[in-house]
Amino acid sequence: MTYGVDTGAAGAARLGGAAAAEVATYRVIRPRSRRRRSPLARWYRRNERTVLGVTGLVTFFVAWQVGAMIGWIDQFFFSAPTEIVAAAIAEVQVPRFWSDVRFSGTELLIGFFASLVLAVPLGIVIGWYRRVSFTFDPWLNFFNAVPRAALVPLVVLWAGLGIEMKIIIVFFGGFFSIIMPTVDGVRTVDRQLLDVARSFRASGRLLFTSVVIPATIPFIVTGIRLALGRLLIGLIIAELYAQTQGLGVMIGKAADTLQSDRMMFGVLLFTLAGVVSTEAIGYVERYLQRWRPSLDLEEGI
Amino acid sequence: MATGPLALSARGVRMEYRDRKADTALVAIEEMDLDVGDGEFVSLLGPSGCGKSTFLKIVNGLLLSSAGEIKLRTVAKGREDAMVFQDAALFPWYSVLDNVAYGLVCAGVARDEARKRAMPFIDLVGIGGFEHKYPYQLSGGMQQRANLARALTVDASILLMDEPFAALDAQTREVMQSELLRIWNAARKTVIFVTHQIDEAVYLSDRVVVMSARPGRILADIPIDLGRPRELDVKRSPEFASYESQIWKLLASQHQRPAIGSPSAEA
Amino acid sequence: MAAGQAPVGRPLLRRVARLGLANERIFYGVLGFVGVSLIWEITSNLGLFRRSLLSSPSLIWGAAAADFGSGTIWPHITTSLTEWGIGFVTALAIGIPLGLTIGTFRRVDYFLSVLLSGMYSTPKAALLPLIILVAGIGLQSKVIMVFLLAFFSVVVSIVVWVHSVSERHLDIARSFGASRWLAFRSVVLPSTVPFVLAGIRIAAGRALVGVVIAELVSANEGIGFYISFFGTFLDTSRVMLGVVLLGLFGIVLGEVIRSFEKRFDVWRPEIR
Repeated sequence: MTYGVDTGAAGAARLGGAAAAEVATYRVIRPRSRRRRSPLARWYRRNERTVLGVTGLVTFFVAWQVGAMIGWIDQFFFSAPTEIVAAAIAEVQVPRFWSDVRFSGTELLIGFFASLVLAVPLGIVIGWYRRVSFTFDPWLNFFNAVPRAALVPLVVLWAGLGIEMKIIIVFFGGFFSIIMPTVDGVRTVDRQLLDVARSFRASGRLLFTSVVIPATIPFIVTGIRLALGRLLIGLIIAELYAQTQGLGVMIGKAADTLQSDRMMFGVLLFTLAGVVSTEAIGYVERYLQRWRPSLDLEEGI
Repeated sequence: MATGPLALSARGVRMEYRDRKADTALVAIEEMDLDVGDGEFVSLLGPSGCGKSTFLKIVNGLLLSSAGEIKLRTVAKGREDAMVFQDAALFPWYSVLDNVAYGLVCAGVARDEARKRAMPFIDLVGIGGFEHKYPYQLSGGMQQRANLARALTVDASILLMDEPFAALDAQTREVMQSELLRIWNAARKTVIFVTHQIDEAVYLSDRVVVMSARPGRILADIPIDLGRPRELDVKRSPEFASYESQIWKLLASQHQRPAIGSPSAEA
Repeated sequence: MAAGQAPVGRPLLRRVARLGLANERIFYGVLGFVGVSLIWEITSNLGLFRRSLLSSPSLIWGAAAADFGSGTIWPHITTSLTEWGIGFVTALAIGIPLGLTIGTFRRVDYFLSVLLSGMYSTPKAALLPLIILVAGIGLQSKVIMVFLLAFFSVVVSIVVWVHSVSERHLDIARSFGASRWLAFRSVVLPSTVPFVLAGIRIAAGRALVGVVIAELVSANEGIGFYISFFGTFLDTSRVMLGVVLLGLFGIVLGEVIRSFEKRFDVWRPEIR
């Protein structure tokens, strides 16, 4: 978007003026100038966002590396990109690493799917039956306001320090993030669509499958996107709290033994998980929302 | 009826949008030559997408044309042109007064001075007393009056109106048309009015410039000889109907065969 | 509201329904709250499950009375509040101008885009061990965690909102010849205010999460610490008390900010 008005060269010069301006002067509006641009410049303009973005990323790592080597950045704490890569290569060859990955992955997947399977139907029921949603609203809002991490000690009381506890924490992280948008989605199904379906004498079940469910799916997907961050945080906190096995534990232990290169490797792995999952869900979300304005629900991880 | 110096003179204006990926060009305006006399009310009439709004934006400076030149007569004080937009035209966070004064503030006038200068125009367009209200408290018609007041306040000699009544319901629209003529009589500006409604164009204008569908070209330039001042009931007169049907036939013929001599194919 | 098929057979419910929608909501809400609490209390007292699992409203109340009365809980509350306050306010003070800048200048946005979204998608909790390593167990590490969580949330959402400023409004500013700075002040800023407030509300919640996770992992003061400390002593009532306090704080905070948001509802530009 260009700012400012391009009027080209100023208008014609004034002739000696009389008070009653009989001679008219004009401002000339000229067309856009056509500069021949080199193919390189044209390519750059088309891909500017990617080029600059990658440059930014590279600059970050280079600055990190250089800073660590000069001593501005304390390598002790933050490590350096080269060290991290070396640690990564060493780490993936160790079987314990892969069992950690399996552990964390299992906790994540089971917790996530459990939360999905429970939150969606429950959310639909609560959203559909108006009085039920009124009844449960205070509780849902309350538990939504509590940071899920605060439930960790409680869950430890229930389930001990093993893998079950971590799955439950991950579950809570996902459950509330998914159920709230689902309830919202069912509640805001466009009245007109429902009226149209009813006027065609659609039975209750058909009403559901043809109007309510499709309208709610984008909300559910948004809920999943919000849940991703909560799931990962839940996983990490649960593992740091009750250290047994898993990637979160690996980070914690690496920090304890001052192995910052392994620690950063773990952090980067979670970054990767976060980025990949967010992009994937974002893709699905954009695909589904081609036909509706985007929901303004934004949450960080 | 261009008497005296021209307010606007456009030659060879062309607007192309280049799609870099597909390497095709979308031609919004093929070629336009247009002269508008000082104080004339000219309508640009045509189907959607024929480039009439694009032309206004080029005059206003919001877009740069691909080719051609437009000369605007300079004025001693104030701007040459001011635009009246179609909708979402007032800032919801400003009062009506601040909205109307906005044009002057953009030109560098101090806020208090701008507000003072805006008041008479608020009265002129008929929303006196509402200046401290916010846009959401005003009806659609009143918001467009404020929109118009803003353009008048900057004391531009040419008003560019881009389908300003399109978002209004039929009754309000008629009222606004009549009001516009009243205000125009009082303010005596040059007006270039874009619309796709035939009756609106014929009722309001001294001349109706009929444009083809995309790529836009001028099909005809029809002087309207219905006398001034015009009441709304002129719309029921036989002369009015004959202008309407003349224009209608011209536009309808567009759909049957491509215009003679046009090098570009219809999409 | 989506119309439900809830059975309204009973005369009482029918009478309630006639009171109107808003009152129905309050009625059922209170019913739900009181009802569940009662069921909770009764089943707990009947010994249907071990007290140590869920405690009961009366026991939680008792713990509250004890700890508030003796004042032992106040240091924890003030510590958590301080950590939250410093981190949150700093994040806003830096994040809002930064977000506005990034949103306005396209090249800056592009340059930082990959980095920003990468850091936004990283679970900041993974940085906890690092932060504790660098900043120790005390106040600083908590403030840093709160800052990180609130900061990225605020910056990213502001950038998104700046990008979605109405094109039409910007056109109007350009049409009348507004300078870039005037356009920013008169269009971009007011356009984003309602959304910035929403962003602040969300960031406030994220900041609270930051407090809790930092305190859980290692601390010796604060509500998070309070919860984990009494968790190890199997004092479920106090654990629940901590949870309730956090929930209350979150809700009150949300409502306060929402009331500010409502003032600016009329500023929201129409979606085009």
